[in-house]
Amino acid sequence: MSLVAVALELALIVATMLVTGALAMIGPRRLVASLREFRWRLEVCALPVAMLAVVLVIRWSTVDITMRLERRVIGNNITPLLFGMERALLPENPVIVLQSFQSPELTSFFVFVYIYGYAFLLLFPFLAYFVLDSMDDFSTLILAFTANYAIGLLFYILFIAYGPRNFDPMLFEGLLYDAFPQSRMLTNRVNQNTNVFPSLHTSLSMTVFFLAWLTRAKYPLWVPISGVLAVSVAASTMYLGIHWFSDVVAGTALAAISVYIGRNYTANGLLEMGRRYLGPHVGGLTGYVADRLSAINRFVRDRRS
Amino acid sequence: MDEGASRVSRRTILAGAGSLGASTLAGCSEQFWSRAEDTGPEQVELTIKTLPADDDAVAAKLMSQLRENYIAAGIDATHEPLGRADLYRDIFLEGDYDVFVIRHPGLKEFDALRGLLHSSFTTERGWQNPFRFSDVTIDDLLESQQSSNADRDESLAELFEFLEETAPYTTIAYPHQVGGVRPDLDVSISPRHPLEYVDVLATERADGPRDGPIAIGVYGEGLTNRFNPIVVDQNSIPGLLGLVYDPLARRVPSEDDVVPWLAESVSWDETDDTRATVTLHEGTRWHDGAELDADDVVFTMEFLEDTSLGAIDGSVPAPRYRARLALLEGVTRIDERTVELSFGSTRRSAAARVLTIPLLPEHIWEPRSEVVAEHRTEAVLADNEEPIGAGLFRFESVTADSLELAPFDDHVLRDPVAQPEILDGESAFTGIHFRIDPNVGAMIDALLDGEIDLTASNIPPSELDTFREASGATIVSTQSRAFYMIGYNYHHSSLVNPHFRRILSRLIDREHVVSELFDGLAEPAMSRNSLVGITDDAWDDNRASSVTTFPGTDGEIATQEVRSLFEDAGYQYENDALIE
Repeated sequence: MSLVAVALELALIVATMLVTGALAMIGPRRLVASLREFRWRLEVCALPVAMLAVVLVIRWSTVDITMRLERRVIGNNITPLLFGMERALLPENPVIVLQSFQSPELTSFFVFVYIYGYAFLLLFPFLAYFVLDSMDDFSTLILAFTANYAIGLLFYILFIAYGPRNFDPMLFEGLLYDAFPQSRMLTNRVNQNTNVFPSLHTSLSMTVFFLAWLTRAKYPLWVPISGVLAVSVAASTMYLGIHWFSDVVAGTALAAISVYIGRNYTANGLLEMGRRYLGPHVGGLTGYVADRLSAINRFVRDRRS
Repeated sequence: MDEGASRVSRRTILAGAGSLGASTLAGCSEQFWSRAEDTGPEQVELTIKTLPADDDAVAAKLMSQLRENYIAAGIDATHEPLGRADLYRDIFLEGDYDVFVIRHPGLKEFDALRGLLHSSFTTERGWQNPFRFSDVTIDDLLESQQSSNADRDESLAELFEFLEETAPYTTIAYPHQVGGVRPDLDVSISPRHPLEYVDVLATERADGPRDGPIAIGVYGEGLTNRFNPIVVDQNSIPGLLGLVYDPLARRVPSEDDVVPWLAESVSWDETDDTRATVTLHEGTRWHDGAELDADDVVFTMEFLEDTSLGAIDGSVPAPRYRARLALLEGVTRIDERTVELSFGSTRRSAAARVLTIPLLPEHIWEPRSEVVAEHRTEAVLADNEEPIGAGLFRFESVTADSLELAPFDDHVLRDPVAQPEILDGESAFTGIHFRIDPNVGAMIDALLDGEIDLTASNIPPSELDTFREASGATIVSTQSRAFYMIGYNYHHSSLVNPHFRRILSRLIDREHVVSELFDGLAEPAMSRNSLVGITDDAWDDNRASSVTTFPGTDGEIATQEVRSLFEDAGYQYENDALIE
């Protein structure tokens, strides 16, 4: 099974889940209506979307540099600390507790949740918040995701941390890659095995759940669904031996911080702050980016009229 | 170590501050001084480094047993997993470890022990004495086994006995070389070394030669990041650089001596001092078409000795091949195809190790002698993305998950007339395609799906069940010289004590490890010689060693027994902690 096959399978399954979810929770009429007026919707949130894109592009394009910084310059390996801390504070390591319930069915469930459930959980809010009358929730979502990735990247540069399965295969089992080794082809593209603290799987899932709670009036059904999924994703990272309990705790904290940022700041406000605090040079650059973006907006609007 | 130091000072300060207050009370000044002057005994702390399970599942499991046994013995043991390139960097370049567990590729000649242990290499980087070990008696024995004026067997026997007592490192077991092969391929080995690849490629296929490359599966992180043949801090495909870079002569497992390779002939003169006159094949070329001549041979030897080529005071030796080069006393160009190497009083079998150093093209590496940072030349920092060697295969293309090697048609040994026996038989394939998977599971699935013909990375025994159940592949397993070793840092305040190292060396249950972690596919190190990395079939007198008596059962130590061992060696326990 090649990377393409693995990716295609992921795309197919997640697309099916998204369509089902959208039909059940959003409804076809709202979907179609929002598609018809997608232009203003995009314009309104162009800046946060651009910010998310920039952070993702930086993450993706600087893998070599960040790995070198992380491993050769900073070289701060906290794996023994995580293991030692959990051994000292907890009567039994939560990963061992979860893995003691191991069964083929449970493994299949958690593998499904870890890969497909997670992808669905992350993508569905994009649809759900895009069709709302106001784009505020959509912008909040994007900003919160951006914060997750940006802060996560910072932690990954500062700390080398291997997951339980890599640390000690006698105590912890690497269930994911035993059950579905090819999934490493996907996860390998996204991340390295030294980046487990905090768990971005947990933080992004929890972010979605926290936002679901805040928008419960609009999507009441999404609260229990995202809640069950988010908790399952967090549990799956430990059950599958990928993350420590500490990573999950830190991931949840990161989610709370990210949601706070998403709710209380706007992309424009953050850029303005950057301009003020980071001095004229960097500020000038971000200002330039903002100017360009609004120029593009104007251009699109002119063409439409 | 830093942590320990800072704790001491913190404690000193606290004790000082606390006692200062106390000393204002009459009669307490004695206590104040004793507290301030003495920091008191500390628990023995050891940081053990090894690969994460992704890179070497067996090493990670060995580590687990070792850590638990150390902790049970009262040692404050922490275990730190590190990626291969980073681990090698810490062990071989920085000396930043207390204890390490790694798989050594194997000692091909007794003289290799000299590189591991001789005190003249303590400041060198690479596999040269990574322990910073120094002992005059051992130095003497290492020198006499190398010299043609002494009885080698006697020196070696004495050396093994001495090493048993001093335990600068210890061997756990010799794992078999295990791999998977498609049933339509009549191959009995999973290749790691260049000649093993050559063997595999010459295998006859049932349906005739294939018009395409053989597909070989490997797995690991960063396998295509660096292809520098002279450095140690990189991860690479097993045997790859040996396929691309060729030496003057190669060591053939079936023979004691080396066989001429890029050299057409090697003639030895041992009448006075040991000398070798080496003549290159006519028309030997590098992969880029440039001619390979005697100048390249002389250059390689001088360059590895000092990659700055004399540009700075002192030298910047290559981290690899240094111990072998130390045997060389001089190299002289006789004519375009001939060089003379002199080895002083070194015996021929040890001196031949110099001939197995891969040759580097002068026109590519000479410019890399530039000093780019403090005591770093371009040569030891370069990634060497497109290696140009003179080997049987040349680099064709490389991506993050595949690497293609094409046969180098101009290689002198591919000429049917010159072909040595070892290259007999038409190659059944046109080149080698390496498929790089992210982990062992994906590599095994690729084999079972028929996407690769065989595997060349180590397969942990726990994965073998997948094969036994499936029909798409067979397991091949051969004994090898590679061994899992525990290395100790001589600069650590506890590890400098040979009695301490000897007890530590006993804290792993070798027989249990072989049956449980290796699934029986390994030989435990139980004799004096095997404890230092010399396999039992390479040495006649396999005397059993007391170091292999495990103080416990089924991998777990008997705490009281181990405590009395440490106490007999002069250590003490305080609240179950081993203190020094």
